[in-house]
Amino acid sequence: MKTRSIIIALAIVLTPFIIGIPLFLVKSGGAIHEEANFISDTRKNNKGITYKGIKVDWTFCPDWEYKPLFFHAEEYLVFMFHYSNDNEYNVQVMPSYMFASPHNRRYSANEEISMYIENALENKLKAEDQTPITFEIPSNATKHYIVTFEKPHSLDNFYVDVDVFRDVTLRLHYKKEDGEWSNYSNELVRKYKGRG
Amino acid sequence: MAMFKKIVKNFGPEWGAAVMGTAAICITMQLSSEVARPFSFLLYVGLGFYLLATVMFVTFLIPWTLRFFMYPEEIKKDLHHPIRGNFFPTMPISFILAGTGTNKLGPMLFGPWFAYHLSIVFFFLGAVGIFTFGYLLVRIQFLHKDVRLEHANFSWFIPPVSHLIIPVLGVCSLDVYWAETSLAPVLFIISMIALGVGFFNFLFVGAAIWHRYIYHIIPQGRLAPTVMVGIAPTAIIVIFLIKFIQAIEASQGTLFGINFMSMFSPIKIIASILWGFSFWWLILVTILLFTHYVKIKDHPLEFGWWAYTFPFEAFAVATGLLAACVASHFLYGMLIILNTLAVIIWITVVFGTIKWLESGAFLKPQH
Repeated sequence: MKTRSIIIALAIVLTPFIIGIPLFLVKSGGAIHEEANFISDTRKNNKGITYKGIKVDWTFCPDWEYKPLFFHAEEYLVFMFHYSNDNEYNVQVMPSYMFASPHNRRYSANEEISMYIENALENKLKAEDQTPITFEIPSNATKHYIVTFEKPHSLDNFYVDVDVFRDVTLRLHYKKEDGEWSNYSNELVRKYKGRG
Repeated sequence: MAMFKKIVKNFGPEWGAAVMGTAAICITMQLSSEVARPFSFLLYVGLGFYLLATVMFVTFLIPWTLRFFMYPEEIKKDLHHPIRGNFFPTMPISFILAGTGTNKLGPMLFGPWFAYHLSIVFFFLGAVGIFTFGYLLVRIQFLHKDVRLEHANFSWFIPPVSHLIIPVLGVCSLDVYWAETSLAPVLFIISMIALGVGFFNFLFVGAAIWHRYIYHIIPQGRLAPTVMVGIAPTAIIVIFLIKFIQAIEASQGTLFGINFMSMFSPIKIIASILWGFSFWWLILVTILLFTHYVKIKDHPLEFGWWAYTFPFEAFAVATGLLAACVASHFLYGMLIILNTLAVIIWITVVFGTIKWLESGAFLKPQH
């Protein structure tokens, strides 16, 4: 191969790494603006919900700011759920999450944004996020899962459904009071089972 | 200007394969970055691959499109060619892959709203192109008077694979944004039609190629890389199945009345079986390559080496996604190995392509 060809080939193969590695260093070094304000952690005041030996706790950040490279920053609602198994046996869970707010806005968690902010969040909360769809929680162990929702503009109340139990859904209600988010109630909603 | 015209004239339908082979690495990188914290920088390397693939896509799309208007007789000749003709869908596949990359990594660049809308534009453009070339190529094959047994080779899998890839972006879109919109049933129906077309064509065409491999001599060395394409159909169906179950899960466990709990177990079994077939095929390719083509020194440097990249990367993606459902530790370990191999193969093929261009072979296409 001629030298010119080798240089062209090297330029092509190195491009993704030349773009990627500095971006990683800048992002992980905190040079790109990302702010987080965790307002509640149910583990601190023992406000988690226990059902059938599985205790669900959550840490909530109502305004995690994520800045895409070419667009302005957007705020996200970020939860880290902590599932503790108080049973004497291992349990397999496959949780899913849904956000609902007035004007019938309902949508699922955004896995992509979760992935982008995962490192920062794990470092902040000192907990490791689970990747598989289903995961096993050994007896007396805790596993964590990051959930990110896009935040509608002018949001003042919403609820999040955590679908982790077979027969009930855990519903977390939030509303804004005097500019502060408050988790005013939580409930276990019985799931509908039937044909019509 | 004369040189540009020469490039357009000789810009064969197969160039989309280079975009495919580059674009799919961004997904293998993204999946690998999830495995453990030491690999998290791979997400950003994946972003680098996404940007490179985008530049390649736009750069190749220009001469590829101009050729239809400036040299329609060349297009006609290629379409009727029993091997080259099958490479036309590689460019519409690139639209789908650009859409998938935008769906997965676009939010890092443009935020979710713009990324999900852009990826849906890619979905419809890619689907139109794939169905158009699909019909065109089947019609030509059915009416062609000179297709012979020795023409059958694994590049014939490209049109079925192109249809199979449509539902991948379809369900990726349902997973993140579109499930709650009126576009959801449209995406679902188009995806299911494409899946049906791709799956049955894969079986029919596969039987024809198998027939040739058994009852006739196997293709010469310049077509050796096309054997790798055999990995792709089942690997892509695995990707579809896992993304589909993730879309159902994200929709609170029910999408179009399809229930997560009832589907998850069968999907795990079917996806594992299909993944197993792709893995078996990967070993078969290695055996054929080293015990035949390399042994008889018949493996010339060709643009067709790009056929080694995308199917292998699709298998790596299938491995990474299957790991979210079964045998997580084993498959995540395998994903890291496959991702590393995919990059090595890609680097080798990039160097090979530059050497191939240097030899002047681009201006002397072999028919």
